[in-house]
Amino acid sequence: MNGAVEKTGSSPFVATLKRLLARTGLSGRTLVIAIPVLWLLIFFLAPFLVVAKISLSEAAIARPPYLPLWEWSEGMLIISLNFANYQYLLDDALYYLSYLSSLKISALSTLFALLIGYPVAYMIARAPDNTRNLLLMLVILPFWTSFLLRVYAWIGILKGNGVINNFLMSIGIIDSPIVMMQTDFAVYVGIVYTYLPFMILPLYANLVKLDESLLEAASDLGARPLTTFLTITLPLSMPGIVAGSMLVFIPAVGEFVIPALLGGPDTLMIGRVLWNEFFSNRDWPVASAVAIAMLVVLVVPVMILQRSQDEKEEAAS
Amino acid sequence: MSEPKSAAETRPWKDPAAVPFISIKNVTKKFGAFTAVNNISLDIYRNELFCLLGGSGCGKSTLLRMLSGFEEITSGTIEIDGQDMVGIAPYERATNMMFQSYALFPHMNVEKNIAYGLKRDGMGGAEIKDRVAEILKLVQLEEFARRKPGQLSGGQKQRVALARSLVKKPKVLLLDEPLGALDKKLREETQFELIKIQESLGVTFVVVTHDQEEAMTISTRIGVMNEGEIVQVGEPHEIYEYPNSRFVAGFIGSVNVFEGQVVDDEQDHVVVRSPDAGIDIFVSHGVSCAPNQKVAYAIRPEKISMSRDRPKDKKNVTSGMVEEVGYLGNLSIYQVMLESGKQIRVAKPNIVRLDEEAISWDEKVFLSWDGSAGVVLVS
Amino acid sequence: MKKLIVLGAAASVFAGAAMAQEQTLNIYNWSDYIAEDTIEKFEAETGIKVVYDVYDSNEVLEAKMLTGNSGYDVVVPTSDFLQRQIAAGAYQKLDKSQLPNLVNMDPDLMKGAETYDPGNEYSTIYMWGTTGIGYNINAVAERLGEDYEVNSWELVFDPEISGKLADCGISMLDAPSEMIPAAMNYLGLDPRSTDKDDLEAGAALLETVRDNVRYFHSSQYINDLANGDICVAVGWSGDVFQALYRAEEAENGVEIGYVIPDEGALQWFDMMAIPVDAPNPEAAHKFINFVMDAQITADITNYVWYANANKASMPLVDPDITSDPGIFPTEAAKARLWAAQVYDARTDRTVTRLWTRVKTGT
Repeated sequence: MNGAVEKTGSSPFVATLKRLLARTGLSGRTLVIAIPVLWLLIFFLAPFLVVAKISLSEAAIARPPYLPLWEWSEGMLIISLNFANYQYLLDDALYYLSYLSSLKISALSTLFALLIGYPVAYMIARAPDNTRNLLLMLVILPFWTSFLLRVYAWIGILKGNGVINNFLMSIGIIDSPIVMMQTDFAVYVGIVYTYLPFMILPLYANLVKLDESLLEAASDLGARPLTTFLTITLPLSMPGIVAGSMLVFIPAVGEFVIPALLGGPDTLMIGRVLWNEFFSNRDWPVASAVAIAMLVVLVVPVMILQRSQDEKEEAAS
Repeated sequence: MSEPKSAAETRPWKDPAAVPFISIKNVTKKFGAFTAVNNISLDIYRNELFCLLGGSGCGKSTLLRMLSGFEEITSGTIEIDGQDMVGIAPYERATNMMFQSYALFPHMNVEKNIAYGLKRDGMGGAEIKDRVAEILKLVQLEEFARRKPGQLSGGQKQRVALARSLVKKPKVLLLDEPLGALDKKLREETQFELIKIQESLGVTFVVVTHDQEEAMTISTRIGVMNEGEIVQVGEPHEIYEYPNSRFVAGFIGSVNVFEGQVVDDEQDHVVVRSPDAGIDIFVSHGVSCAPNQKVAYAIRPEKISMSRDRPKDKKNVTSGMVEEVGYLGNLSIYQVMLESGKQIRVAKPNIVRLDEEAISWDEKVFLSWDGSAGVVLVS
Repeated sequence: MKKLIVLGAAASVFAGAAMAQEQTLNIYNWSDYIAEDTIEKFEAETGIKVVYDVYDSNEVLEAKMLTGNSGYDVVVPTSDFLQRQIAAGAYQKLDKSQLPNLVNMDPDLMKGAETYDPGNEYSTIYMWGTTGIGYNINAVAERLGEDYEVNSWELVFDPEISGKLADCGISMLDAPSEMIPAAMNYLGLDPRSTDKDDLEAGAALLETVRDNVRYFHSSQYINDLANGDICVAVGWSGDVFQALYRAEEAENGVEIGYVIPDEGALQWFDMMAIPVDAPNPEAAHKFINFVMDAQITADITNYVWYANANKASMPLVDPDITSDPGIFPTEAAKARLWAAQVYDARTDRTVTRLWTRVKTGT
């Protein structure tokens, strides 16, 4: 009996599981797929629904500080959905302007990250094998220190009596410190610096696969290096550019810590507005509505982009 | 417009006054301490279909890449149509290359791939369209103009690559293992297509290949390369019938080699005493060598006759035992062990279907050949 | 430091083997707001193990209180925040029978705190302070003249005067419920007004000096003032004194002063309270009673330079501190202090929105 079990290579437990699955009409494959689906349900969909739910309730001085969406009253289920929070987002230009400002800051940061990241990724992809691993290591290295620490390091570099100003003053290029801290410039520096690896890595993964004979073929057919880059390298690396840009752009839109630490008071970002709604106004419903609106603003363009990318790929295959 | 004559018809290499189209002089290429191409000099004439033949790592691809401009020359000169190529970038050269991997641009359809080079020349849209249509017709791909490379078969890709490299009407077309990725049947068909296209367009082809059969089939001339050097240049039959070294003899086709020593060295014949063969081999032409020099005698399997009875009219006759018979369809290959213990191969065409009388295993046979059947190799 | 505390706790547990089982007390307090040895002493005396955690804004504390199940036993919200949190049901009533040291407290100040917690039912005062002006004495004198006396909010609210100081750096608290009333007060309006026009007027004044302000932040100014990176900060009394102390320690030549302007200033109380769902309310009462001990409170004031409300502790507090009008205001100054107004949700929103406009121009 025991020997037979060993022969089939499965323990009694697995056998029981198989029998159970067979009885319920599920296969092992369903189970394997179920795990990531469950993961998404628990860690993405559930929190999202909670936030969506709060966004439809009404703020109150209570614990938690909003009214329940539904209650039983004399045998009646009373459901009250409050869309005023969304209405509110439309009424005050602040939200709209913050979204725009966040989108602008993220878009520009993404562009800068791309302009810096592309040559770096290209160089790493074209480096000899042994140097390449070292360079990749250097790109990932900053992740070993705390994100906050790295942002604080930038304060030390950019501030009035910081590294850059002291250096420039000591060699006599400037007489008084250049104001870099608490400006949008510092915010761009912080965001680009922080998210640069997320741009470089997908670009590298794409560029390293680029067949060098394609570049030679272009050159052979009369394309100068710049033309080769624009007509071959750039279009072929588009998936890497899109992936890298998404990885930079999406978290940058909701960024709170970097503008809070490096930005000036006039750096308007949606993360800050959300913080104000949640903490200063204690208005969890409006804060949730801001978050949901931000998700919509972000997710819809991404989905459109994804769709068009998929269609392109389908057409190609 | 006069019909272009193929170089094979005019044979400019036989004419000392002919001006070479591509002139390679003392070209050396080093990668660090490694010498990939060592002091090669070679002339290639207009309208030739010249094959660089050799095993992997022999330097043939490096030589081709120096012609295309992808590799710089360490020393020496290359001239194409009288123009020195030193310092001229690939995109400024009147050469085009067909890559072994085809290197088709995956994001462009067939039409755009082919038009790519024309666009770079600043050609007008209408003219590009005509030229692309023309070349697509030549390679029989009209229906596939809108497909992307990923949607094509290997043979179709090969033809797109050919079309793309030909459409600019280069002075020289460089082909790196052009048929290497195709299966055998398709390869054989394509070989003749390639010749046809080359002859109809009158473009000079330089082909790199490791496949000696392919080289034999398509070339006007072959340059056999070994360890960065060209060891022999000649027309296919010259390379086959008169290899100048053991390397060439062994590389091109199948060959039997007998070690020996020149015992009689006359103006019109020599005799090689070969313990391997068990006889003194009579060679009906003179050989420039020292007396008593150790040499090798090379003879192709199909040049040897095999019979149960000793033939009377042949100069060279030896005998052995049939060990193996390999049936290849059009011919059979026999492996015969001579009395010296040397194993040699004999090819016999299968003239009759199911020959009951055919020589078989373990039979004693006589092997014979003429004085002109083999060559003496001094190196 | 924290490690030491834990070790101390372990030692006391072994020593007090009579204790039936190990108790834990979770405290959530402002950062840099307690004497170095307070926790150690409490653990030694009671054998209760303390887990001490800190925050630096009322908003963060409030989010935790309103969410519930924070796991803390003692928290220290500022009075106006406390009032709202009480209304939300975040705290439990104190069992005064367990707090014999209440007798030490100053009845006048406890009465003041009743504005927020009628009958002092839920809380007792931990420390209190004012929101005034900290300044770099030399840097201000250099720009406004040796004779200029810093005694008015005009230093920051008069565009002409603050303009002269902009180059060396002015900071303001990133706290609209403190900054806008201060501006209203300067304009002669009631700082406790919740009238929208009054609030708008205060915000408008702030906008006129906005360009002279380098940043709005509630803790960064301590370091910057001490280093000389800024020269004027609207800040909390004890924090400015910390900056003063740090500058003295660094011997960097920066001299710092703190002033409660003649126009008046906000007076606030930080209150000890016990969350309604505190895991260990018994230990919490023990800790609150322990802090109200005259010596313990005096130790804290001597360390953090904030005023306490413990009458019995006064003789034990450093005379330099008790005599400093910036920490313990004179009777005349006391009369001009105002208590923070607790806003309803709508006013909160108005104030926050005005504040965003002040800061960003949007």
